[in-house]
Amino acid sequence: MSKKPTAGPALHKVIMVGSGGVGKSALTLQFMYDEFVEDYEPTKADSYRKKVVLDGEEVQIDILDTAGQEDYAAIRDNYFRSGEGFLCVFSITDDESFQATQEFREQILRVKNDESIPFLLVGNKCDLNDKRKVPLNECQLRAQQWSVPYVETSAKTRENVDKVFFDLMREIRSRKTEDSKATSGRAKDRCKKRRLKCTLL
Amino acid sequence: MAPQPVVTGLSPKEGPPGTRVIIRGEFLGNRPQDLVGLKICDSDCLLSAEWKSPNKIIARTGPARGKGDIIVTTVSGGVGTSTVQFRVYHETIGPLKESAVWIEESSPQNFAWGRRTLTQSGLTQEDPLGLSIEGNEQKIPEDLRDLVPDACGDLSQENFSPAWFLLENHSATSFVDLKAGLSYLKRKVESQKEGQLSFLKSNAGSVIDQLDTLMNIRDKLQEDTKLHGSEPLDVLELSIKNSIIESKKIFDDVLVRKEKADSTRAVLFALSRHKFLFCLPNAVDRLAEAGEYDKVVNDYSRAKNLFGKTEIPIFRKVLEEVDQRIMQIRKQLHEKVVKMPQRVEQQKKLIKALTSLEVQQSGTLVGDKLRNIDPAWDAIEARAKYLETTLRHTFEQYANRDAATQDKLKNRDPNQTPSRVNFCEEICDIAASQLPDLWRLGQLYFTGELRGQHDPKPGDFKRMILNAIEKFCVYLRLTILIAADQRTLRQTTGLSWPIGSNTATHQFLSWIPQCLRYTRIAYATLISLDLPSEALDIIQKLIDEVRLFCFSIIFKRATDRCKKLDAQETWEMGVEDFPGATLLPAALEALLVETLDEVQSVCMQPEAREGNLLEPQSDGQREVSQRLQEFLSAFSRVIEELAYQSHDEETPTHNVSQLLGFPNAQHTDPNVSSGHFYATGTSAVTWEQRMLCCLANYAYCNKSFFPHIGELFVKYGYPLPTLAIETSRYTVNQLFTNLLEEYVEHKGDPLVGTIEPSMYLGRFQWDHEMEIGKLRPYAHECCDNLVGVYSEIYTISPALLRPILESIVQTISEELARLMSCVRRFSFTGAIQANVDIRLLRDALENYVNETAKNYFLEALEAINPPLNAEQKRKADEILGHVKHNMRLQLLCFGVKDL
Repeated sequence: MSKKPTAGPALHKVIMVGSGGVGKSALTLQFMYDEFVEDYEPTKADSYRKKVVLDGEEVQIDILDTAGQEDYAAIRDNYFRSGEGFLCVFSITDDESFQATQEFREQILRVKNDESIPFLLVGNKCDLNDKRKVPLNECQLRAQQWSVPYVETSAKTRENVDKVFFDLMREIRSRKTEDSKATSGRAKDRCKKRRLKCTLL
Repeated sequence: MAPQPVVTGLSPKEGPPGTRVIIRGEFLGNRPQDLVGLKICDSDCLLSAEWKSPNKIIARTGPARGKGDIIVTTVSGGVGTSTVQFRVYHETIGPLKESAVWIEESSPQNFAWGRRTLTQSGLTQEDPLGLSIEGNEQKIPEDLRDLVPDACGDLSQENFSPAWFLLENHSATSFVDLKAGLSYLKRKVESQKEGQLSFLKSNAGSVIDQLDTLMNIRDKLQEDTKLHGSEPLDVLELSIKNSIIESKKIFDDVLVRKEKADSTRAVLFALSRHKFLFCLPNAVDRLAEAGEYDKVVNDYSRAKNLFGKTEIPIFRKVLEEVDQRIMQIRKQLHEKVVKMPQRVEQQKKLIKALTSLEVQQSGTLVGDKLRNIDPAWDAIEARAKYLETTLRHTFEQYANRDAATQDKLKNRDPNQTPSRVNFCEEICDIAASQLPDLWRLGQLYFTGELRGQHDPKPGDFKRMILNAIEKFCVYLRLTILIAADQRTLRQTTGLSWPIGSNTATHQFLSWIPQCLRYTRIAYATLISLDLPSEALDIIQKLIDEVRLFCFSIIFKRATDRCKKLDAQETWEMGVEDFPGATLLPAALEALLVETLDEVQSVCMQPEAREGNLLEPQSDGQREVSQRLQEFLSAFSRVIEELAYQSHDEETPTHNVSQLLGFPNAQHTDPNVSSGHFYATGTSAVTWEQRMLCCLANYAYCNKSFFPHIGELFVKYGYPLPTLAIETSRYTVNQLFTNLLEEYVEHKGDPLVGTIEPSMYLGRFQWDHEMEIGKLRPYAHECCDNLVGVYSEIYTISPALLRPILESIVQTISEELARLMSCVRRFSFTGAIQANVDIRLLRDALENYVNETAKNYFLEALEAINPPLNAEQKRKADEILGHVKHNMRLQLLCFGVKDL
């Protein structure tokens, strides 16, 4: 990473988390390439990066699409450490995936050691509303508890796909400006500060 | 030029070499051929790259290390860049780890002789912490290199970094485990620090072993020195030299043996070659005997190739021998080729073998003796000749058999197939099977497949085919067309079918359609052969003739059946629009339709490549017309016969003689004459009624039935046979007139004959005065008789009333005129009476009085002498009115107009 010149546009690192099969890769591919992949192929760890225009400013978004399967739980810590913002995805047609978001949230907080890390709760597959298993108010309740935004998306119809990524990037950006202002910041997110330096260097 | 390719997505972003990676991005080429380069972490992966779309490529990573870019190169966009990176890591796989790759678990053996394997390298290095590495994901976190630059996690390296090592190998190990590992490491270090003594203590056993070994080595050395002196190496050198000499000897020996073996092999090879040649004469004979001429040709050509130009005398001699044998075989083959019968394929094979043998043998001394033969042409000739003889032979065989059987028993079983038919079938079979063969052979010959170096003779072949077909047709003609004039044929061919008895010939006639079918089958086969149209025309002509013959036979048969139709007459009057006509014409029509159907199916419908028999002005039309005419006239004769048939059987009933005193049984019983006519049916049909029926039939035929027949023909696709129908109508008309005259004569004569006797019955004289006031009995009688005739005709066919009654009335009027003119003198009352009688008759029959009759009546009135004066006339008018009133029933009867 030290090879990368700092002169480039700001880089926002987004990590997709959530149980297997909820549509993390589908959301990512829809956002990146406007394509909807019908066939399911479990992800191990995919990496995407492209330039986007965020509120008139050119930035780079780096998306790390992680494995939802439990087999890869051990290596998640490593990935989470590098993330600046998280899209925690579940399927509104699968209650288990909704329950699993609790674990992901806890793991992220543990790794990042930061209560206010940019984080969006995303209920995917909202085009399958007739097969809904997770009531909307329950989702909103949970988002409220975590004090994070809740958005429902559909990777199939591209509903709210851009919104979740851009919303998250905005949060990351505002966090970064906040951090750089309070230079000698609080001791509690040292780790994060160091990481920030790395990227800047 | 398109924009540079950019890779923006990877799935997955890390993995061992050989990982299948989905590469996504933009401008990755616009078609598979556009993609000309793909590097992942500096290793070329183009070979495994699979271009999916301008946004997607699937590839497998190559044997790279570390992290690197994905560079896509396209023709259109050049060398690209990537925003994402792939990391290659290498997995160590132990016995407990799942792996998709087979790992050799036993350590590789070094098989160098006398060498011990060196200590194993650090491949299976033990973990210094005494912990199992297995199960830990062995991968370098991506920022490891940033954290600890210029270091590595390899224990044996100088720049070993413990932090790296821990992160690399124990990123998932718990803290407790790590502490335990640390204490393990400490213990190990401590144990090494305790010094040499402790080392010796711990390894006392092995140290003593080493000392023992050293002692042994010293003892052995001393022994050697004692034995070989102080320089043992000399002995060694000597023995090495010895062994070198020895090994050289062995090597030379082997070399010599190898040479020997080589020469032996060469000799054997040559022998096997020669063996083939030496065996060839016998082998060729044997093969020829077995009929495997292909092999003969093969072997011969092989021998020719191998030894054809040899100078070695023994070979030449053998070759000459072979040539002689081949010569024999060729002669045999030629005989076989022309031998008939055999299949074309077989013949083809033989001819080919023969031709190739000849080609190969040409140029040799022996071969030139038998030259310029054309086996294919010979085969064709043989085939043609065979066909001809077969045809002739078959013909003679059947003809003779027919002659023989005819002599023996005259009345054969009529169900048995006549030998003409059998012959027909067989000859058609022969033609249909052998002509195609001949033609095919000819085709093969002229297309060059079987031709040798000789010029083809198309004219000859064509003549041959035409000749064969002509022969075939002649035989068929002799057999089938027995009615035709065969004298010329007989003269030209010298052949004839023995003339059989009439019954036999008659029997055969019904088989002709069968023969026609056989001929047609053969014809169809020949048509499919693409024969020249000249040849086909010959058969077509024959077939057309046979068809026509068939037609006339069927019609003749129909005519015969028609002649027997009289048996079918039931006297039932079933024709609605023509009262009096019976069902006979309907029966005729059914017969005709049946016949036409048969004709249509048997011969009239032209099949493939057959002429239309009904061309205008053709024999066919003439035949149709003639046959129809015969048919119809036969029918007319049938009616005629029916009409006159009962003359002898039945006494004619003269139901006119009531006044003369022989009362008629039939007339007195009115039930029979008219009332019960329908109820009693055919049994009570009298002769007169039959006659009337026949008359009605004639009229019906003339008016509507024959034209209807014409329509029937048109419906079947024939031209309207106007001539035949008109002729028949004319005939029928004639017959109608004759019959009518007959009937009128039969009815009128007795009627007229009774007038005179009745008139003068009871010594009556016209010049006597008499009582007047009513009609005279004779006039009554005449009137009643006429009513009788009238009713008879009317019940059968009202249409016949006029022609019959008119002529009867005429004769009556004539008779009256004659009688009146014979009376010399009338008395006063007599004149009145006569006047009344005559006028009554005249008025009663007014509807049926023609000009002649009118004149006769007038003549009769004028003959009354002296003519009536005014008073007489008045009186007569008065009486006439009175009489008419009395007789109004009878008069009403005649008043009925024609229907």
